[in-house]
Amino acid sequence: MPTSQALRMCPDLIMIPHTNGLYGQVSDAMFDLCESITPWVQRNSIDEGYLDLAPCGLKTTTEVEDLVRRLQQRIWDELQITVSMGIAANKLVAQIASKLRKPKGFVVVPVGAERDFLAPLSIGKLPGIGAKTEAYLAEFGLKLIGDILGRNERELKAAFGSDWAAVVAMARGKDDRPVETIPPEAKSYSQQETFTEDVGEFAKIERVAKRMIDELLAKVRADGKRVRTITVRVRYGDFTQTSQGKSLVEASDLEAPFYPLLGSLLSEVWNQRRKLRLVSVRFSGVEESGTQLEMFTQGDEKRRKLAAVLDRLNLGGTSAGVSRGHQLGGTKRN
Amino acid sequence: MKFKINRDHFANGLAQVLNVVGSKATMPILSNVLIEAEKDQISLSTTNLDLGIRCKIKAEVKETGSVTLPVKRLATIVRELPSVDVTFDGAPNHQVKLTSGGSTFKIMGIGKEEFPPLPEFGDEKAYTLEQSELISMLRSVSYAQSTDETRYILNGVYFNFRDEKLTLVATDGRRLALIAKEMEVPTACAGAIILPAKTVSELNRLLDKGSKVKINFNERRAAFQIATDKDTSGLIDHVYLYSKVVEGNYPNYQQVVPKETHQRIKLERELLLQCVHRAQLVCSEKSNSVKIKISSNLLEIFAASSDFGEAHESMAIGYSGPDLQVAFNPAFLMDPLKALTKDEVFFEVKDEVSPGVFKTLESFICVIMPVRMN
Repeated sequence: MPTSQALRMCPDLIMIPHTNGLYGQVSDAMFDLCESITPWVQRNSIDEGYLDLAPCGLKTTTEVEDLVRRLQQRIWDELQITVSMGIAANKLVAQIASKLRKPKGFVVVPVGAERDFLAPLSIGKLPGIGAKTEAYLAEFGLKLIGDILGRNERELKAAFGSDWAAVVAMARGKDDRPVETIPPEAKSYSQQETFTEDVGEFAKIERVAKRMIDELLAKVRADGKRVRTITVRVRYGDFTQTSQGKSLVEASDLEAPFYPLLGSLLSEVWNQRRKLRLVSVRFSGVEESGTQLEMFTQGDEKRRKLAAVLDRLNLGGTSAGVSRGHQLGGTKRN
Repeated sequence: MKFKINRDHFANGLAQVLNVVGSKATMPILSNVLIEAEKDQISLSTTNLDLGIRCKIKAEVKETGSVTLPVKRLATIVRELPSVDVTFDGAPNHQVKLTSGGSTFKIMGIGKEEFPPLPEFGDEKAYTLEQSELISMLRSVSYAQSTDETRYILNGVYFNFRDEKLTLVATDGRRLALIAKEMEVPTACAGAIILPAKTVSELNRLLDKGSKVKINFNERRAAFQIATDKDTSGLIDHVYLYSKVVEGNYPNYQQVVPKETHQRIKLERELLLQCVHRAQLVCSEKSNSVKIKISSNLLEIFAASSDFGEAHESMAIGYSGPDLQVAFNPAFLMDPLKALTKDEVFFEVKDEVSPGVFKTLESFICVIMPVRMN
């Protein structure tokens, strides 16, 4: 729900300013604690992950439970955040188990009991089945996960289409995806900002988008990558949106080549005389091979040095940091 | 206006002027070719305002006059006419009747008055060159022009008449090709222009039709009179090519040509080209570089892309210096090797962040910036 709508519905709502990078730091601290019991930790998102305890030499389920309980307590003791744990033989069942009793849940599904555990749960607990699909499936009489297993192939095809076999495997609690410790390579870098009040001022939108360019390219540089395509997306108050992208001839890790593209991209996507609710910037066309050196670009070398200094000063985002001049005149973020 | 003309000559003439007309002409008249009949020849002109071409073809003119017709459609029709003898008959209302064998076409034209005249040159800076020489010089450098529209200054070939020589330079900021030819340059005629890429490609196409080409230029425009004395398909006199030039200051190319030679290796051009070509077959858009390793009497080329595989090429060379290794975009290595015709080239390298340089004994230099491996 957009903040402005929330404020209309609940005028006494207490608004807490968003904390620049704090969530990320706490998340890192939490996963660091997880890694103290096993190196096999998959950081799925800021607040969700998988731990593989199989290689830890634990002999009984009780030992596993004890270890995880201690971790849950330690996260509370050290970070004062509640986490919910689901222990199971695979990622699918563990994920569903962890979400079953929030907050501070602790659900253990014994090996072999996956199917029985899932059967009485509503079908919407399965990943990929949202509210709309759930309502649609209810028309087929499919309400619980167990309902799936009582149907023949023809009925399942009618309900789930070509994905039916994968759905049956999920309903049986089958999942052989490994816990992946190395995050997948970034295919793109993106950032978006939703405004508390819709914005109609071009200069402000441009300023916000430029800030995103600055912040995203710092990440691109930190990863040792270069990007080629910038895509700008805008959304109006009624959630309709448009997007448009442009590519450089050669990928870059500097802001300067992208700034000149921004103005025209914004004019192209913001083609209605209405205020904007959201703006986002995405960089794609990620390249990692060596950097083609240039002949007449002493300017680029200077920019690269400047970028390196800025990146060092802004590292971690703990302070307001150093920003470019185009951010002056805007309201401060924090 | 009325004339009789050979179909193949007419088609050849139209083909000379056709390219100038883009698919999206800004004004209808710019999609048309101006046909002027005079004495025993007709002249055909097209222009897109930045670039214009005029050629002359022999014809049996019975009645002088002029008209403009849509050039693309006309060229297609003329090419496909059934008989070699074509009669062109223009009425005062700009309608043209084209007759050939049993075929008759009536084509609606526009009057000459609307056609923007091609600027003629007076006594500006003027030089005369051999066409074969100019085409060879252009081929040696034109591949290095930039196609990046944001670097419009580099979207062309730089002609520099100075210091008793003509130097042609093209660069896209990552590689630079340069070729020079000694010639007399009177002080009053010294000067330089950036000839736009489109004009360069037209020039490449039009040259080699005769012996001489005359160049006139000032700081805003250039014109080429390309003699057609070797042409056997109806062209007479010369083809006139007019072009605006890219206005602005060309970068100081001399500063990027390394002054000192570090390691110089003599290479067989064809062999190196084949090796680089084979190695780059494994490259992808994401990893578009080949690594050249030079050690005692051996040159090796490595290429790899994580999603496909690796390639290794080796060739024997005469070399006794220190081991060196440097990576380049393979296309930048292949382009000059393809454009050159000599069997041997010299390749100069220093280290992994310094440019590689191809040279020949004919005042040709191609400087290639390396790819810095992460």
